[in-house]
Amino acid sequence: MSHLITRRTTLKRLLKISGGLVLSALTGWPLNGPGSVSAKSHKKGFIVEGLGQEEGYSLKELTRRVFEAAGGSSRFVSRGDVVVIKPNISWARRPDLAATTNPELLEAVIEICYEAGAKKVRIADNTINDPRRCFAISGAGMVAKKTGAELIYPRSSLMREMKLQGNRLDAWPVFVPLVEADRLINLPVAKHHGLTTLTLGMKNWIGAIGGRRSALHQDIHQSIVDLARFFNPTFTLIDATRIMIKNGPSGGRLSDVATKNTLILSDDQVAADAKASMLFGLTPDQIGHIFLGQRWALGTYDFQQLDQKKVIL
Amino acid sequence: MKATHLVWIRRISQGLFLLFFLFLLIESRLPQDIYLRYSLVFSSDLDLRIQWPLGFFFQLDPLLWLSSLVSGHHFITGFWWALALTLVTLFLGRIFCGFICPLGTTHHVVSWVKPALKGKRMIEANQKSPSQRVKYLLLTSLLVGALIGLNLAGLMDPISLFFRSLALAVFPGLGVGIKEIFDWMAKSDIRILNHLSYGAEVLVSPVFGYSYQSYQSAWFIGLIFLLTLFLNRIRPRFWCRVLCPLGALLGIFSRLSILRLEKNHEKCTNCELCTKNCQGAASPIPGQQWENAECLMCFNCFDSCTEGALSFQLRWPRTLNRKPDMGRRALLTGLLAGISIPLLGRLDGQVHKVSEPRLIRPPGSLPEKDFLRLCQRCSLCMKVCPTNVINPTLGEAGMAGFWTPRLVMIQGYCEYTCTLCGSVCPSGAIREISVKEKTERPIKIGSAYVERGRCLPWSGNGPCIVCEEHCPTSPKAIYFSKELVTGPDGKRILVPLPYVDLKICVGCGICEYKCPVKGRPAIRIISAGESRSVKNQILL
Repeated sequence: MSHLITRRTTLKRLLKISGGLVLSALTGWPLNGPGSVSAKSHKKGFIVEGLGQEEGYSLKELTRRVFEAAGGSSRFVSRGDVVVIKPNISWARRPDLAATTNPELLEAVIEICYEAGAKKVRIADNTINDPRRCFAISGAGMVAKKTGAELIYPRSSLMREMKLQGNRLDAWPVFVPLVEADRLINLPVAKHHGLTTLTLGMKNWIGAIGGRRSALHQDIHQSIVDLARFFNPTFTLIDATRIMIKNGPSGGRLSDVATKNTLILSDDQVAADAKASMLFGLTPDQIGHIFLGQRWALGTYDFQQLDQKKVIL
Repeated sequence: MKATHLVWIRRISQGLFLLFFLFLLIESRLPQDIYLRYSLVFSSDLDLRIQWPLGFFFQLDPLLWLSSLVSGHHFITGFWWALALTLVTLFLGRIFCGFICPLGTTHHVVSWVKPALKGKRMIEANQKSPSQRVKYLLLTSLLVGALIGLNLAGLMDPISLFFRSLALAVFPGLGVGIKEIFDWMAKSDIRILNHLSYGAEVLVSPVFGYSYQSYQSAWFIGLIFLLTLFLNRIRPRFWCRVLCPLGALLGIFSRLSILRLEKNHEKCTNCELCTKNCQGAASPIPGQQWENAECLMCFNCFDSCTEGALSFQLRWPRTLNRKPDMGRRALLTGLLAGISIPLLGRLDGQVHKVSEPRLIRPPGSLPEKDFLRLCQRCSLCMKVCPTNVINPTLGEAGMAGFWTPRLVMIQGYCEYTCTLCGSVCPSGAIREISVKEKTERPIKIGSAYVERGRCLPWSGNGPCIVCEEHCPTSPKAIYFSKELVTGPDGKRILVPLPYVDLKICVGCGICEYKCPVKGRPAIRIISAGESRSVKNQILL
């Protein structure tokens, strides 16, 4: 079973972080990974856009190329890591309706993680619809079975109240396996959303917590930024192979879906969302939480500050 | 065959059938290992189904078959199992009661583990008594009632009663207790306790439910079940002797049975061991006439007789056995009750005049009149529902609809692409539907309305729109428009205000369930607009 945050691990981590901080201060080395919130590096972030232009391109190949462009998967996953992937599989909808993360992409990412030496890959999401139905119908269950990844079902015993120390959210029940990961991967799908205009990477973290989630809507953008800061993933890979352009976030008809054949990979949560928002014909500052994310220095949508790459297949 | 062999065959058969019953009961839920080969190119919805024959015991039950037939003129799926059992009963008597019935087995075990009485008093308790006619009274009233149009058989039917009690009261009750312990362990700072709680939960939740299962008024169902168990303290298998209408029905069929208890007067020493061990109070002792209709075919008398004065034998050609002692008064009372109960049940006007707004039936339910003719109140739909939204009614469906299914949206919601309840309904009161039919026709179970006084944006308490986000239809039945409302300090604030498009709303209730206003949400579902009713409609 999953290992937990106990006093001992907390102390160990604190030591590591503080030690790392000293080291990084000395050597100028960046520290990435969950838990090292304050160690956000000043090193240039990156954003890679992958586009499958040719007919019948291989999504797996595109995913691989996108990772290569970002410096190779070993940059993100080390040997022996426990990797937790947070896809968006909130709805019990077929994959072609674009309400959930593309199962083929999920499979590709899991394979890449294993190839990079991950000890264990877990898929965890606190879904909106019944999790059994979501995992089955979205195809995530089959992907887990095929790849040997572990499906983590949201259970009340896996929700633990933690200090988020956000601007708006202080303490909140958090889906424990996500904070226990060595590497946390955000794998959302790009969708329309009535209240927040779009749901991309940062908003995906609402599926990583428990508690009275429906109350978050009362200050949704700030809540999203608080959660994104807390979870701070190793990277965000936005699935825009097909996007939901209206009736989001649940959709339900193929006419709600547009094909984009695009993947966006970045270690900057704000930048990834900003890039994806442009696929919808919007500018990043039109979306509250992207705007706030830049203002609170969570990331940037000034792409000039980033190492930009584009992969076309 | 030797008597001990027969008794052991009986015990093994009882055990196996009880285990099979429990197995099917536990499997009456979506498992966590459903693997569908969904991919992007796959563009039609699959219906999730449970592969086990969950309705087996209901199909085996002649009372459910007969009552559905006379009331709903409907042959329930798999009724030939019941037909087969009837045929077996015609030859071998109430073999079902002694060998198969899981409720009978439970009572048998309870009576055996803790015998109600000792010695002489047990012998007295096992004398046939006039109270045993009550079951014929009940059977008559249930069948006559079914004929007139109200099928209450499931309230008393042993399979329905047992399933309902276990599924709604016993298992969820234990589940809540166990889960509370696990949650407490998971919260603990002691690492080993955390691990234990996760590990144990993985083993335990498939049996007791993946979340805290709750059912309104289930305490009452549990209490009645405990009462029927307690009755064994008065007489062994009290339920089977006195109350079980299925036992009464099988007793009537057993008149033609060729498996008979043969008594040998000469060998009998009048030790009364046979009577003492008789589970059905069927007068096994030589000197009294054997009551074949009361005999539960447990073979205890045969086994306990040390003198060889008793034996069960197949006798051919067939001769008529003793008539079941029903009692004319019991029959007349049953007849009267059977006529009056359906008529009394109609007096609330639910069928002919008004519909209760909070009586929201599962998707695919038949019109109320037909529904009451078929629903056996077995609670299988409530058990399989993945969101725990289906609950037994108490008063919402009137006296006639007692313990029929109803959706309680503060507890769950009807998932848009789920069609599980109709696929398991043993009597067809909920039709089996496909996702395509449910979403495209569409099948509506009610309509949503906004209670503006409680709604956060409407009452000036800020933005929300959780209902709109969760609305599963496309286009969404809940839409919003950004308008100015007066906030707490008198300031005008611009917020999205929710509206419901009744043409599109299917009444699934996810809006009510997810609404941040808990308990009595600001958006609610009423049954008006449900597809199954011609009258209970809103729009032109």
